[in-house]
Amino acid sequence: MKFYKNIYIIGVIAFLATGCKKLDLTPTDTFSELNFWTVNENVNNALNNNYSLMYNSGLYFYNDALSDNQFSNSGDYNVISAGFYTPSLSKFRNDWGYYYSTIKSCNLFLEGIDQNKTLPAASIDRMKAEVRFIRAFAHFNLTKWYGDVPLIDKNITPEEAQQIARTPKAQVVKFIVDELEAAATILPSKDEYDAGDNGRITKAAALALEARVLLYQGDRMTDVVAICEKLMNNQSAYGTYSLANSYSNMFSDPTVNNTNSETILSIQYVLPARTWNEYWDFAPRSVGGRVSSMAPLQSLVDSYIMLNGKSINDAGSGYDVSNPYSNRDPRLSATIVYDGYKWINANGTSKTIYIKPGSDPDRSALDEYSLTGQGTKTGYYWRKYFDPGALANFVSGNNLHLIRYAEVLLMYAEAKNSLGQMDASVWDETIRALRARVGFTDAGALNYPGNTNITNIIRQERRSELAMEDFRSDDIRRWKIGETAMSGWAHGAKFGDPNVDNGYIRVQNRKFEQNNYLWPIPPSDRALNSNLTQNPGY
Amino acid sequence: MKSLGMLFIIMLGICSSGIGQSNSTINGVVRDSIGQGIAGVNVLLKGSKTGTTTNQSGSYTLTLPTGITSGTLVFSYVGFTTREIPVPSNGTLNVELANATSALTDVVVVGYGTQRRTNVTGALNVVSARDIGNKPVTNTLQALQGESPNLIIQQSSFDPGSGVNINIRGLGTLGDNTPLIVIDGIIGGNINTINPNDIESVTVLKDAGSAAIYGSRAANGVLLVTTKSGRRNQKSTVSYNGNVGWQNPRVLVEKVSAWDNAYYKNLSLVNSGLQPIYTPDDLQKLKDQGNGTWDVEHLLKNALFQTHNLSISGGSENNYYFISGGYQDQGSNFIGNGGTGADFGYQKYNLRLNQTSIIGRLKANLILNYTKTRNKTNSIGNNNIFADANRVPLNYNWKDSAGNYLTNPVASQYNEYGVLEKGGYNQSDVDEIFASVNGQFDITKELKLTGVFGSTMYNSTNFYRRMQVNYLPAGIYGDDRAVSDNNFKNLQLNTQLYAEYTKNLKEHSFKLLLGVSNENYTGRGFSIEKTLTDPFLGTPTTGTLITVGNSNNSIGVDATSISSAFGRLNYSYKNRYLLEGNFREDYSSKFAKGNRAAFFPSVSAGWLLSQEPFMDNINRTVSNLKLRVSYGSLGNQSVSSYQYQSTYFNYSSAYGFNNNVVGGAGYRQGNPAVTWETATNFNAGLDAGLIKNKLTVSFDYFNKVTDNILQAREDVPVLYGAGFPSFNIAKVKNTGYEVTLNYNLKTGGAYHTFSLNFADNKNTLLRLNADKTEQIVNQDVFSLLRRVGEPITQYYGYRVAGIFHDAGDVSKSPKPAGADVGPGDLKFQDLNNDGKIDDNDKTVLGNPFPRYTFGFTYRLAVKGFDIQIFAQGVGKRDAFLRGELVEPFHYNYGQTIYEHMTDYWTPSNPDAKYPRFANIGSGSNTNNWRTGSDIYKYDGAYIRLKNINIGYSLPTSVTQRWGIQKVRASLIGQNLITISKLNFVDPETTEFGNDLNLGSASNSARGYPLPVFYGFGLDVTF
Repeated sequence: MKFYKNIYIIGVIAFLATGCKKLDLTPTDTFSELNFWTVNENVNNALNNNYSLMYNSGLYFYNDALSDNQFSNSGDYNVISAGFYTPSLSKFRNDWGYYYSTIKSCNLFLEGIDQNKTLPAASIDRMKAEVRFIRAFAHFNLTKWYGDVPLIDKNITPEEAQQIARTPKAQVVKFIVDELEAAATILPSKDEYDAGDNGRITKAAALALEARVLLYQGDRMTDVVAICEKLMNNQSAYGTYSLANSYSNMFSDPTVNNTNSETILSIQYVLPARTWNEYWDFAPRSVGGRVSSMAPLQSLVDSYIMLNGKSINDAGSGYDVSNPYSNRDPRLSATIVYDGYKWINANGTSKTIYIKPGSDPDRSALDEYSLTGQGTKTGYYWRKYFDPGALANFVSGNNLHLIRYAEVLLMYAEAKNSLGQMDASVWDETIRALRARVGFTDAGALNYPGNTNITNIIRQERRSELAMEDFRSDDIRRWKIGETAMSGWAHGAKFGDPNVDNGYIRVQNRKFEQNNYLWPIPPSDRALNSNLTQNPGY
Repeated sequence: MKSLGMLFIIMLGICSSGIGQSNSTINGVVRDSIGQGIAGVNVLLKGSKTGTTTNQSGSYTLTLPTGITSGTLVFSYVGFTTREIPVPSNGTLNVELANATSALTDVVVVGYGTQRRTNVTGALNVVSARDIGNKPVTNTLQALQGESPNLIIQQSSFDPGSGVNINIRGLGTLGDNTPLIVIDGIIGGNINTINPNDIESVTVLKDAGSAAIYGSRAANGVLLVTTKSGRRNQKSTVSYNGNVGWQNPRVLVEKVSAWDNAYYKNLSLVNSGLQPIYTPDDLQKLKDQGNGTWDVEHLLKNALFQTHNLSISGGSENNYYFISGGYQDQGSNFIGNGGTGADFGYQKYNLRLNQTSIIGRLKANLILNYTKTRNKTNSIGNNNIFADANRVPLNYNWKDSAGNYLTNPVASQYNEYGVLEKGGYNQSDVDEIFASVNGQFDITKELKLTGVFGSTMYNSTNFYRRMQVNYLPAGIYGDDRAVSDNNFKNLQLNTQLYAEYTKNLKEHSFKLLLGVSNENYTGRGFSIEKTLTDPFLGTPTTGTLITVGNSNNSIGVDATSISSAFGRLNYSYKNRYLLEGNFREDYSSKFAKGNRAAFFPSVSAGWLLSQEPFMDNINRTVSNLKLRVSYGSLGNQSVSSYQYQSTYFNYSSAYGFNNNVVGGAGYRQGNPAVTWETATNFNAGLDAGLIKNKLTVSFDYFNKVTDNILQAREDVPVLYGAGFPSFNIAKVKNTGYEVTLNYNLKTGGAYHTFSLNFADNKNTLLRLNADKTEQIVNQDVFSLLRRVGEPITQYYGYRVAGIFHDAGDVSKSPKPAGADVGPGDLKFQDLNNDGKIDDNDKTVLGNPFPRYTFGFTYRLAVKGFDIQIFAQGVGKRDAFLRGELVEPFHYNYGQTIYEHMTDYWTPSNPDAKYPRFANIGSGSNTNNWRTGSDIYKYDGAYIRLKNINIGYSLPTSVTQRWGIQKVRASLIGQNLITISKLNFVDPETTEFGNDLNLGSASNSARGYPLPVFYGFGLDVTF
């Protein structure tokens, strides 16, 4: 008996000893805040994480649907473009939250990196400058949409987040400009970076963004001119840039897209690990598109000039309403797929895209415009950013350009013009160069047209050059043309009832009010922070 | 099955068996109140060690020691009244035992031990084996639905192998409400995979009085599962039971015909100021062409369901055992097999050994259980399948006559018929081993020491393969030919040591239990995904790519540990005044050092009024009456590990430079102050037995306040820029009651039993988040609300006041700003009478949690026949549904009208249920369907005839000739009839998990249909 008892007690002690586990457990697959920053590779990773938060493909493409370039039937884009600026819409809250999460991550980085004692001081300075750029860019996006916004330049506590008030827009802009100035002095130029650093934020990126920020203010054109001139005329100091040879290859050809003379900054993607695939919902369905969730509007199509340099409505333009897509700015077919479009596949073969109802000889008629199907709602599809190197379902590793040298030229033209300094030499450096690059040869298009209507010509040029690159919504807002551009019926191709609007499809009835130039501050945040005031009209 | 058989033989070899030899014997049958023999009843000669147990048919033979001819026999069995009857002179003694719920003297399993039901002072219910077995379910929880009041079980999907929502007494916290599961004394077993036929009983611990001994994790109640074991001196028996039948998917939706659909589309366009798209010729053409096959029913089939269980049990003086093997196979109602291998469906294999050896004063018990499950499902997800099947009008077909899979302008991307037949599959395999050794040592007669060591080893693998299917005229599925493997393993170890001391001093009885335990958990997994694999084999080949983002070495890496001390003191005076105290002190690794410990005490008391002398004169009517009350606190620690620490993690593929991908580092904020949730619980109950316990009634009222509820902070604006870990913030009150009624009746040769349970509970949010008193989350087209002072989660939006009947009505009624509406559109209530419809008119529209839950069982036994009818249901629940089955031509994504939508407004049908049809984007559609009103609300109350079981047992006289103890054949029907106002989707399905989380996806009514089962069963005992 005693024997069993002893065995039993020994057994109990044995399994108590083996079965128990201590309570001080630390995760084995993560770092703690105490040791994270001391490892150099972690600092690099944290920097890369901030790059990934700089901007994203969803915002890049779909914000254009809030302009007269495009129509999207999905979610809040549909609602906002129709003019329903209900403050509680998720888009207003999500974007706000997204930019602030980027800012949080940047502030944590700027606070934490000083714990690292092993990286060279110069590297730390450069990395900080990269992150300061990203933080400034997020603030710029915020102030652009929301006006006065809390300026957050340090890692704040939850309690501070409950108290912080909106900083006047001018002060936010000053912060952004100062930060970009400072970053520009620290950052290497494109030529100073190693080849392996292609894609990093450069001196030129900081300056170009500064120019954009100033241009958007409308009253800093002299500064815009000065910065653009640095970038155009002092390339040995600021980096060598020029227009790429092929407009469409810059978006489509995977090699040109990644390495070209024109890109100043892009969101970097790499097949197959870091990709985007929004294009799946932009492409004609007969070539693999899923549903058409965003499509170009007639207004954008109409904005492309004729090869002779005239707008389609100008006298003597030669525009043929029954053959509307011929003799047009080559960027039209580089950007938009229209009825009868000759689509070039990835393997070089081609096929015709039939969009007009009843025109497709194939009974599936996948691309045809119809009220019931999942195809285009406007009668158009997208070509720009088509990636022939994409994986199945248009999973693409092509970069999305945030700042191109073309934009610098356009900013320069606009600023010079706005200062009353537009002339043939400025024209030749900017608009003519852009048009020549895409294949215009007619003198009517290339030569300086004089100052009549020049503002509209520059704006039209900007729209054609930068369509689908997330500029048009900004331009409508800073030019204050929302009441006209975003009002009334948005139209699609001429597939409708001939008695209604000359046969152009009615896509969406839009409205835009004075207060819509700024978005509402998300009410959910206002409920938690009584110091957050609301924009007028909401 | 062959290997199972082998194992049985081996195990039999281990277990010794033998039956005592002696002189005079007593024979008889022990039956329950409905005349069925009860297996396993202990028959003991009082004051001796002489005893036996009844066999499967309830008969027993007890051999008395030499020279003994008189005395008292004690008949006892868990769930039944213990009876003491003098030894008869003629050697035959047939006994009837009253069953558990009608008795107060049986033994029930409680935390770390058993208790006589008389002495129970907490609130608990016992569900016994016969209420669990014999139901065609693969998951024990499905079998428990409706069996115990306020044990609320909701199936969110009826797909084979899918889990259920389970909670006890409703929702007491905003976090996890799942009760603690304890299987054979080991915390954290998997109740989803245990074989229902292996279960002896399930005790549901509901209040602090009964559950506090499980302390920090018992706030949501506890389910104590006890599995079957052999018994001392039990003759070896072999039992088989099984059932086989067909599951017929009950599809509740019906599309209108193709031509009607086209007509409605025209109507919808015209109502929106647009041109009709179908000419009269088109409509005629559609009519001539007839309906196609594109619907849900063509994707479904009747599927086989079978379960087979074999068990062997027996025992000698010092050894007893129970061995069982089970096989359950639930075929999926979906057609196809994904292109290769077995059809879709769920299989489960269980193997169990329970062996006890008595070596002097040591009783050693070993339980080993192995479970294997396999679940094969489609590669695209049920949601997509039902959505695509639902949203396409009936003029289209899944296949053409040549067998090609077709696409059409509405569903141009995928053909789900092709996906089911050829598009690959998702197969999960889970292996679980549960082992527990338990030693009980009687140090003295009064002091017992028990040590328990248990472990659960869990290994799951998931294999996913997407295969390419080409469609006509266009569309391809699965051309990325993705293949992925996931593996996850965890190990749970549980060590307990406790001592129990019993002392009786005249009229005072004491029982003291003290113990310590540690439980710990470690887990880790990995995954790999490749695309462009070999089209035939799914293996890597030329061009194969690895999906970096979905290929990881270490996922779910986690470890937790919890150490505890616990105890219980029972005291009773004169067996009529009862007092019990429980405590548990827990230390959890999930919290920082200073916040780790928590103490959870409870006290409870009972008064057996019926034992009082002053009750003597009425105890013919009131045979039993007990009052109970308990008060105490319970804890909850449902947060993930390490939340008290801020951590940084590296990940791959964050960004790229020069077309080379680079990794990134993210962070998670910690909350060093995170600690326990505490639920303070009050319970008052009454148990009564009337008319010789023929009618028993049990009633409980409870009030539970849970404080420091673990929730992410919601009081910080998103401009803060980061997510939060859990904080101890919210507070919820939950009150309710439960009633159980049992009535036994004997008419002639027929035994009837009626059992009814009924319960309700109501939760109230007392604090949401610091000083934030309200949270509204937009949920697709309506909103969910959390507001202090009201139920924790409610639907929120405009209330429909009716349908505009004419232009005058439109112009004089308040409308949302900018609304472009006409007759036939919805009118909303202007609750604040300010002449306009805006946010201030939004109001609470409904409560998604089930109220007034009930279960009803009727049993009848006449001669060899027995019938059991079981119904359960929910008295009140609001269900919001959206999507193509609710909104006509939903977003143009749906292009269909269903029969249940056809009561729509027209000038000639002004009292319609639904507004007029209108196209997406029109003012009407925006007003009627985009505005978030109770147009989306449905009444989710239902009553379901859940189970009917009609059996016939061959007379023992017949079977004994064949050497068989029992043969019973039965007819089984499951889910036969459901009555509900919600008639196009099963009313049980819900969008919510077990916490009514505001982040839950909305219910698109795309659920797997309820399978209706018809089959037969067979029980044979040798």
